[in-house]
Amino acid sequence: MIVLRQSRNESAGSSEENVYQDVYRVLLAGMLISSTLFAVGLLRVLLHPETYPLTPEWVRSHYHWRAIWQGLKQFDAFTLMMVATALLILTPVLRVVISIWAFWVDRDYKFVVVTSIVLVVIALSVVLSHFGVK
Amino acid sequence: MQYSLHFALTLLGAACLAGFLGALLGVGGGVFIVPVMVLLFHLPVKVAVAASIVSVIATSNAGGSSYVDQRITNLKLAMSLEIATTIGALTGSVLAIYLQQWLMLTIFSLMLAYMSYAAFTTRNLDDQKIASEEFAKAAPDRLSRYLELHGSYHDLAANRDVQYIVNGSAIGAAVSYLAGLTSGMLGVGGGVLKVSAMNRYMNVPMKVAVGTSKLMIGVTAAVSSILFFLAGLIHFPVVAPVALGTTIGATIGTMVMNRLHSSLLKWIFTALMAYLAYGMLAKGLAMRFGIYLPSLGV
Repeated sequence: MIVLRQSRNESAGSSEENVYQDVYRVLLAGMLISSTLFAVGLLRVLLHPETYPLTPEWVRSHYHWRAIWQGLKQFDAFTLMMVATALLILTPVLRVVISIWAFWVDRDYKFVVVTSIVLVVIALSVVLSHFGVK
Repeated sequence: MQYSLHFALTLLGAACLAGFLGALLGVGGGVFIVPVMVLLFHLPVKVAVAASIVSVIATSNAGGSSYVDQRITNLKLAMSLEIATTIGALTGSVLAIYLQQWLMLTIFSLMLAYMSYAAFTTRNLDDQKIASEEFAKAAPDRLSRYLELHGSYHDLAANRDVQYIVNGSAIGAAVSYLAGLTSGMLGVGGGVLKVSAMNRYMNVPMKVAVGTSKLMIGVTAAVSSILFFLAGLIHFPVVAPVALGTTIGATIGTMVMNRLHSSLLKWIFTALMAYLAYGMLAKGLAMRFGIYLPSLGV
């Protein structure tokens, strides 16, 4: 995250340029980290094949911080792939958050509003899945 | 589900191929990987859609970042239209959770049939418009003027900077909503709809439309993915080979795309998509009505 802002002062000439650089870095980092985790998880499960039930209840039973922590400590393939998926999903969300901040720094308030609306819709998907959508 | 070496490796290979083919046609891998998972791997259509939508984020990150790096993407246009695509994705993914399997198969089949037709009829008139600077001459509408959606990019093929004025915001937003809905419901990127809407109705040059659409696809797919993730519909051991495979395939496909002859490609894709459309329809009909069409190998 620190490297994200290195160039802001250097290229003060074009404010939109900063948003472009930030967006690029977030996308690239998200892609590399999640791909690596997917590859490690996949290698792990190929060495020790397992049987996974395909029920939503079974998948959801892994959604606990303690289970995730335990799984990561044991280098469990399912947990690795779950974390990779979560990071992959969060990449574009982070891209939206970073854009809001970059537009704010550049005082482009119109686009702070536009991008914030997108973030609200994303938040709505979390709210929806908590209430009702099962 | 027995997660065997054979299953994982063949799925990885199939995803590579789907990503490769998708990049060649510029449609992303979802259009091919969902039918492959359903017809060849016999996975439930909802599991296939959920896995595919996550892999769509991966290919959007990969493709989207390179267009952003080359300054081809119009970020402001992307963020404005994302409001419509994300709301569409929300609607689409809720529908996907509730719709019956046979109906999803039928709708997917219809989309493939349409794409098969569209792949063949789309004409790219950009070269003429770039030469006559027509993109810069259009009048903006009120919204696009207010949001300053105009832009420019450097076109390598024409070796010049291309200026363009964006208009047609209303129809652009409407089609983006539809694209988001399709994306959330069927696990595809929906890029074809967005690109053609931007290029045809919003006066956006083709390359900018493709780059902007690629970026928008990531956020759109993230909305549906969050919903599927929290509902427990995403099966991570299925996602891993699919996401990795499509990313690898799409990267290679993008590299070789420019060296291939496009009219032959169009024929191949038209035939392939029509074939997959048939396969999905046959499965849907068998599931709901017990009508068994000749399988033709799928």
